[in-house]
Amino acid sequence: MREDCLSRLNWGRGLFLILLVVSLLSLTVSPTTGAAPARDFFKVGVVTSLSGELAFGGNVTKRGYDMWADTVNQLGGIEIAGKRYRVQLIYADDQSTPATAAVAGERLITQEQVDFILGPYASGTTLALAPITEKYKVPHITGSAESPLIWQRKFKYTFGTIPPVSINAQAPIQTLAQDVSPKPQTIAILGIDDPFSKFAAEAFRTAAQKFGIKVVRYEIVPEGSDYTPAVSAAKAQNPDIFAIGSHEKAAIEMIKAAKELKFNPKAFVQHYGMTTPDFRKGLGKDAEYVFGASVWTANLNYKATILFTTPKEYAEKFKAKFGTEPDYTEAASTAAGIAFQEALRQIKATPPLDQAEKDALVAALEKLNIMTFYGPVKFATSGDYYHSNAGLQPIALQYQGGKLVEVGPGKLALAKPRYPTPPWDRR
Amino acid sequence: MELFLQTLVDGLLIGGLIIVIGVGFSLCFGVMHIIDFAVGEWVMLGAYTAFWMVRYLGRDPFLYLPVIFFLYLAIGYLIYPLIHRAVSGRRHNPALMGLVFTFGLASLIKGGALTAWGFHVRSVTTWLSGESLALGVAVVPALRFAGFAFGVLATVAFMLFLKWSKIGVAIRAMAQDRVMAELLGVDTNRVSALVYAMYTGLTGMAGVLIGALFSIHAGMGLKYTTFAFFVVVLAGMGYVPGVIPAAFLLGLLQSFVTVYVSGRYTLLAVFFVLYLTLLVRPRGLLGRGW
Repeated sequence: MREDCLSRLNWGRGLFLILLVVSLLSLTVSPTTGAAPARDFFKVGVVTSLSGELAFGGNVTKRGYDMWADTVNQLGGIEIAGKRYRVQLIYADDQSTPATAAVAGERLITQEQVDFILGPYASGTTLALAPITEKYKVPHITGSAESPLIWQRKFKYTFGTIPPVSINAQAPIQTLAQDVSPKPQTIAILGIDDPFSKFAAEAFRTAAQKFGIKVVRYEIVPEGSDYTPAVSAAKAQNPDIFAIGSHEKAAIEMIKAAKELKFNPKAFVQHYGMTTPDFRKGLGKDAEYVFGASVWTANLNYKATILFTTPKEYAEKFKAKFGTEPDYTEAASTAAGIAFQEALRQIKATPPLDQAEKDALVAALEKLNIMTFYGPVKFATSGDYYHSNAGLQPIALQYQGGKLVEVGPGKLALAKPRYPTPPWDRR
Repeated sequence: MELFLQTLVDGLLIGGLIIVIGVGFSLCFGVMHIIDFAVGEWVMLGAYTAFWMVRYLGRDPFLYLPVIFFLYLAIGYLIYPLIHRAVSGRRHNPALMGLVFTFGLASLIKGGALTAWGFHVRSVTTWLSGESLALGVAVVPALRFAGFAFGVLATVAFMLFLKWSKIGVAIRAMAQDRVMAELLGVDTNRVSALVYAMYTGLTGMAGVLIGALFSIHAGMGLKYTTFAFFVVVLAGMGYVPGVIPAAFLLGLLQSFVTVYVSGRYTLLAVFFVLYLTLLVRPRGLLGRGW
């Protein structure tokens, strides 16, 4: 049978196949150094997760980036030396996998010849994209990734508008340690095995140790596994706090599992995920009392001049456009665009950017110190958090009456934290 | 001791859920020799159907279980001729063609779901959600118990159907020797379509349970496809009753490794057992597969 199969593949077809392979190969090694054709708009590459496990988060960043680009274009574009240049976002789907993120970035740079790149939703994909932008020397800002691993690698061309998770995730633990009584004594931590979630879990642990809360269980589990056994094991320790390091989906599933197992700690803590509308919709009243962390809310009173004047104005325009309240990742993604816009204005670079202008753009980003609706954007230029935004302060949040309110730490509170959490049937 | 019992219960309940997915898949493989790569996609579609029915019609998603069963039964029956076309005729490797065809089908369904229903993570709530029963010191989540009961009952009903009904006899005959069954007057095409339809119906129904327990999104299927493969290898390819012990082993393994070793090693342990099975007992735990 097999010989029959081979003999059927005649020479003509073989030749065709060889030609096909050769032409495909030549496509992938297209020239990269050639100058981009003249144009009067900025080509902005966006690599993020539009399908796969992280599609929800990817679309969160997309809304943030779209908000920036659409607002800029409504004003006629970025004003540089008296002339306005529009921006065009070119999306590439990383399918929620790091390897695809690298390929997508390479394609945007070599084939689309984008001027700069707005980065992915997740830290894992960002860690795969950063070496590519480094290789081709293309400036890249992520409006979402939070893993400290990115900044420890000290990529020259990669920046981020959200401070690392190792700082942010400490806020709710600090609030619980200092602003409620009686002070919680023990904590069980459950994290997912990815670069963001693992560090969220680690930040919970560091903060707990710093504030004298005993860590009774610390467990990292793979994404997509059944979380019931891990939650059972945490429950067996009877901790005061149950902290979850994960993205939105795993957080929903773990809290569902906790309810089913009648696991009733005095506080639930999460970091990213609890700020999204899907978390609240998915859990309904079970989202109530959950603590979380953010670096931005619409209630902050920043005064800015670029695109949006206040967090409130941004939130209103965002809601009018997308029908949901923005969370901090959406705001940070918009701020990533603003950072590029301001740096471009400072160096007076016009599209398309050549390599010297791209390097100048990186230098300008390093010096950038601006006030936006999202708060100060100022990238660190040394230390462990190299090129991540050093200007922001993390805030502890809690669901109270179906709304997210700021509960700490300390003076940042707009409402008192509700503690302890009542049993499941009395929420 | 309390944790040990809870871990045992957790493991058995996880096993119960896996049974639900494994049974139809195993039957589909056993009778038609088709490895349906889209098994997880049927789970996802079932979950989404329940979500939209609740959104527009209200009431409890469990009320729609029969509707969803017949809906996916019909869809499976209509799709089967396409699969049949892909695996029959003068193809050199029908099993591979089936795999490729269903892989394509899975990609289509997944992409279509993402485009049509968006990226939001959805949930459905049933009257059993968040409820639980006390079993001594262990807590038994009611919804998982329902899934467990559903899995076991569906398997037993299936076994009885295969044993006593006329179509069941035809199915078994076909699984043993397709050509001989055809010679004896079994309409293998119709029987195959029926088996595939029952499999999609059952799997779609399982989706409702899974959607209520976890969360619903377009990419959720792949995980269950992996589970289905695993359980069928462990059960012995095509040996339907083997699914029950295999699923329990898989559930208990996950549960005990997570609690007593480390969550990080759960998948490692699971795949280690899979490889070991393939090496030592390639015909499955009970040695009854092929």
